[in-house]
Amino acid sequence: MNMVSRSAVGRLRFSSDQRELALLYVACLVGALLISLLLIEFNGSSWSRAVNALVDGAFQSPGRWGETLRRTAPLLLVAVGSGVATKAGIVNIGQEGQLLVGAMGGAFILTLVQPGSPIMLVLGIALGAVAGALWAGLAGVLWYWRRIPIVLSTLLLVYLASQIAAFTLTRGALLLNVVPGEPNRLLQSAAVAAGSRLGIIEVFGNRFSLSVPIALVIALAFSWLLSRTTWGFRLKVLGLNSRTAQRAGVSHFRYGMSAILVSGAMAGTAGAMMLAGGESQYKFSSGFSSSVGWDGLLVSLVARNSPILAVPVAVVFAALRSGSMFLSVAGIEAVLVDVVRALLVVALFIPPAISELRRKRRAMARQTERV
Amino acid sequence: MVLEAGRIYGILGQNGAGKSTLMKILIGLVTPDSGEIYMDGQRVLVKSPQNAADLGIGMVHQHFSLVDALTVWENVVLGDRSNRLDAGSARTIVAEIGGRYGLEIDPDSCVGSLTAGQRQRVEIIKCLRRNPRVLIFDEPTSVLTMEESEQLFAVLRQVVRDEGGTVALVSHRLEEVLRATDNVVIMRDGRIVAEMPTSDSTLDDLARAMVGRDVRLHTSEAHHMRHGAGSDAVLRLSGVTVASRRGGTVLDGLSLTVHAGEIVGVAGTEGNGQRVLADVLSSLCKVTTGTVEVGGVAVETGRAGAMAASGIGVVPEDRHDSGCVLDMTVAENLMLTSLNRVSSHGALDRTAMRKSAERLISQFGVSCPSPDVPMWTLSGGNQQRVVLARELSVRPKVLVAAQPMRGLDVSAIEYMGDRLREAANAGVGVLLISSELDEILHLADRIVVIYKGAIVGEMRNEAVDMTRLGMLMGGAI
Amino acid sequence: MPGFLVNLLTDGPLYESTFRLAVVLAFAAVGEWVAERAGTINISVEAMLLGGHFGAAISFTAMPNFALAIAVGGMIGVFIAALQAWLSHFFAADQFGIGLTLNILLLGLAAFLQPRFDLETQLANVASIPLLSDIPVLGPALFGQRWPMYAIYAFIPLTWWLVKRTNWGLEVRAVGEDPQAADVSGINVNARRRQTILYAGLLSGVGGAVYLFGQVGRFESSNIGGKGIIAIAAVIFGGWTLRGALAGCLLFGYVDALRLNLPMILGYGLNSQLLASLPFLATIVVMLLFARQTRQPAALARPFVRGLK
Repeated sequence: MNMVSRSAVGRLRFSSDQRELALLYVACLVGALLISLLLIEFNGSSWSRAVNALVDGAFQSPGRWGETLRRTAPLLLVAVGSGVATKAGIVNIGQEGQLLVGAMGGAFILTLVQPGSPIMLVLGIALGAVAGALWAGLAGVLWYWRRIPIVLSTLLLVYLASQIAAFTLTRGALLLNVVPGEPNRLLQSAAVAAGSRLGIIEVFGNRFSLSVPIALVIALAFSWLLSRTTWGFRLKVLGLNSRTAQRAGVSHFRYGMSAILVSGAMAGTAGAMMLAGGESQYKFSSGFSSSVGWDGLLVSLVARNSPILAVPVAVVFAALRSGSMFLSVAGIEAVLVDVVRALLVVALFIPPAISELRRKRRAMARQTERV
Repeated sequence: MVLEAGRIYGILGQNGAGKSTLMKILIGLVTPDSGEIYMDGQRVLVKSPQNAADLGIGMVHQHFSLVDALTVWENVVLGDRSNRLDAGSARTIVAEIGGRYGLEIDPDSCVGSLTAGQRQRVEIIKCLRRNPRVLIFDEPTSVLTMEESEQLFAVLRQVVRDEGGTVALVSHRLEEVLRATDNVVIMRDGRIVAEMPTSDSTLDDLARAMVGRDVRLHTSEAHHMRHGAGSDAVLRLSGVTVASRRGGTVLDGLSLTVHAGEIVGVAGTEGNGQRVLADVLSSLCKVTTGTVEVGGVAVETGRAGAMAASGIGVVPEDRHDSGCVLDMTVAENLMLTSLNRVSSHGALDRTAMRKSAERLISQFGVSCPSPDVPMWTLSGGNQQRVVLARELSVRPKVLVAAQPMRGLDVSAIEYMGDRLREAANAGVGVLLISSELDEILHLADRIVVIYKGAIVGEMRNEAVDMTRLGMLMGGAI
Repeated sequence: MPGFLVNLLTDGPLYESTFRLAVVLAFAAVGEWVAERAGTINISVEAMLLGGHFGAAISFTAMPNFALAIAVGGMIGVFIAALQAWLSHFFAADQFGIGLTLNILLLGLAAFLQPRFDLETQLANVASIPLLSDIPVLGPALFGQRWPMYAIYAFIPLTWWLVKRTNWGLEVRAVGEDPQAADVSGINVNARRRQTILYAGLLSGVGGAVYLFGQVGRFESSNIGGKGIIAIAAVIFGGWTLRGALAGCLLFGYVDALRLNLPMILGYGLNSQLLASLPFLATIVVMLLFARQTRQPAALARPFVRGLK
């Protein structure tokens, strides 16, 4: 099935790299959309209804813009953190768990300390960041100490995190909100204290919390950090060539761990801010992370690990989510969006990968070969 | 090019002349853009190494063809198209071919534990069992001692005499080609510029044809009496031992001193610990015992950047592996080890970086359109200049150059040599590690020989005793 | 206390549970072992298991034939593996990113499609092997299972033979240790790698189907939940040997079985979340204590492109 053999790679002639890339993107996107279309039809619904519902739910209906923006914030944070780790060559895919742990940590202060106050808010988010960082750091320790692959341990820790989170919600002494006299105990925490909530911004009836501008600022900050500081520079060297990094004084442990901790902290912050920003009516429950961690990873993949690119991509993913709320009205399962999302990611994965590969092959051919 | 049966051909040419590419075409690893290949008068297309083997073309590679983790017999049958794996018959093959050509080797030993000479035996057996009609050897003697080289040439003679096959010996070593071949084919700039029977040519003829102009072979340039003895020792390794993963040692009590302003050449056939030595001095490898001192101060081995910070600059053997970051720009590569100079409080000053880069680019004659192009767009020679520029720009006390001329064309080699001498004149202690004896004789003030991970002898270049040198390199003393 | 320990060690049902849970892990682990020997890490075994699990359920609902459903499961596993293989080794996209995306995709698909189908599945019949299943304590566990489970007994020696005794297996091992050398020896490195991933897909798909008919009986998208990842951990824990991987599966299966059976053995209830976390906790602890680096295939997880090291 070797459609593109060694020599054919050179023979595919397009007039420029750009055109080739654009064509690849179009081809892959069309493929993904076709499959989505098939799924929708299979569902017994119509493609146009689906799109209308999505657009309606994401932007058009009153207040939906705000919903989309609200969802963008944690996605962006997770994506930024994930990008940092990837640039350092670390495969951290446990953000779902780190986010949950962050929300859980934040919940301890945000929901339990009454009355709330801005100081508690800051402390709560800080605790969330630290918790997320430590949870990721655990995987880092396992790697640097015992060479257990980070990709594996971070995944295992996701499952562990959800068990722990569920556990804290079974004990009144922990996070469970025990309401005396209520026979049906919902397994959730108390609401975040009124004084510890993130401020709400309201623009033309669209409501979203301060987490949105904060996330944006953080994304910009990391973009600057990565491109304009020695820390960012060294991180990139580590990710591109670890041996040269060692030679040049970039300690694998120091920079690798800092990347892991940062990515965990970002996910944890996302979780804590989700809680303080009103997710799930300000109450922590066991399904709290609702795939935001996984989605954030996908955002980062599509955005090629760039904090700036992550912004529009996060908006698109957030739009899909908030749009999906309206799909059931059109008779379509909201879960479809999960599928479409993943298909889009696969489609968007391929073109840059091929392009880069071809580029490198051409460069190697140009070198004076010796061996 | 025409190769006739029953002869040994030497394919001669400088690095970059195209010999390797030509061989890769014959063996099916590279597809030519135009041109034809004929075997026995029939046109053939060599599409893959498997294809080449079927056609009767076999190559004994210099590197990268044996899998360390597998045994000898497994490596010999690797790539067969049969479905059954027959250990018994494989072992018989190894014994039989080994016996016939004097290449004895234990079929069940793990390739990773063999010496370079033994590994080559396995390579040859692997090649010979396909009964090739054309046998290509790619730079075979860089890993061999002089004695082993003679043995190899005897094997070649036998193949040609008994089997009536053809041997193509790819090399850039003039003397070897003169000694071992019947005909010489000389390549330059991607084409064949001369073909002659070996008996009709002299060293000078070959050299001139290779380079296209008169070349000083063994330059009688006076080895400046630089302040060798009596000067400060800028680098001192004492009893350095590095254990290998399979038990045993890669470096075994290695002791070595380099003084300011002198060029010390570490001679030895490949595979005697040179790579690890360079790695230790690059902070890429931790020593088990022993000390490394720079200017009298001990440096921690294995800690990232420690060697560089203490004043050791390294031009590594494989710049892609540990010398540069291909995906970063030239400017970024130039500033890799001196970020402090172009930043304040952790923030990079891109303008300063650019300026420094431009200065270094012009100083070292790096040919590139701008400092902001990615490193991988540069040619090998220019990449080497960038690495050299970076290492010298921080005024190191010691400069380690590991196989620095490898992969470079003549002018680049001359440039490199000049730069190294210049550095030494400026007081830097230069450690030149090379498996090319010519290079060492050309540049070094003092020659030490590395054998099986230790320094076994030394001599001054002015008073070099080639016989003794050969014996040291072969471990005979 | 001693009584409790004796109970723990001689509890027949505990071993039966262990075996059942270990089997699904083993299918995935044996397949992934081959793929890792070739130098690839495929976190999408999770998706392959789920795909096989779901596919078998759909097939059985459409036509109540166990063998057919298991075959369908296997094919779906292969299909998913093909996606992983082609996307990551042909297009050189990041193998972890692809694996992650496939896992998410499959979970979404399963959740999306499940309500469409009125799934009707059942457990296969128990087929006790006479005599052998009468061995005390272990007999029923190893030889008294439902018949699809016995498939693992065939796949283990088959896989071992494939990797150790055939030319294909030799090439696979070469490709995982030194792809450059393998390439120069005339082996198509990426093709071999893709083939091992397909093999892992076949086994995991069958494993998912076997799990349905041999253990759970009903499809739930949460049934697989992490077993693929644990299978990968088993391969690593086992030092990339087949024996070690199987030992790992037994160990992790045992812990999972403890989760289900411990309250009964002890006689009192334990917190369900803590129990549920046992397998994952145990995996981490075990790897911490026993992970050995030395036998890792040298080229593990490094994409191969000719000329680029």
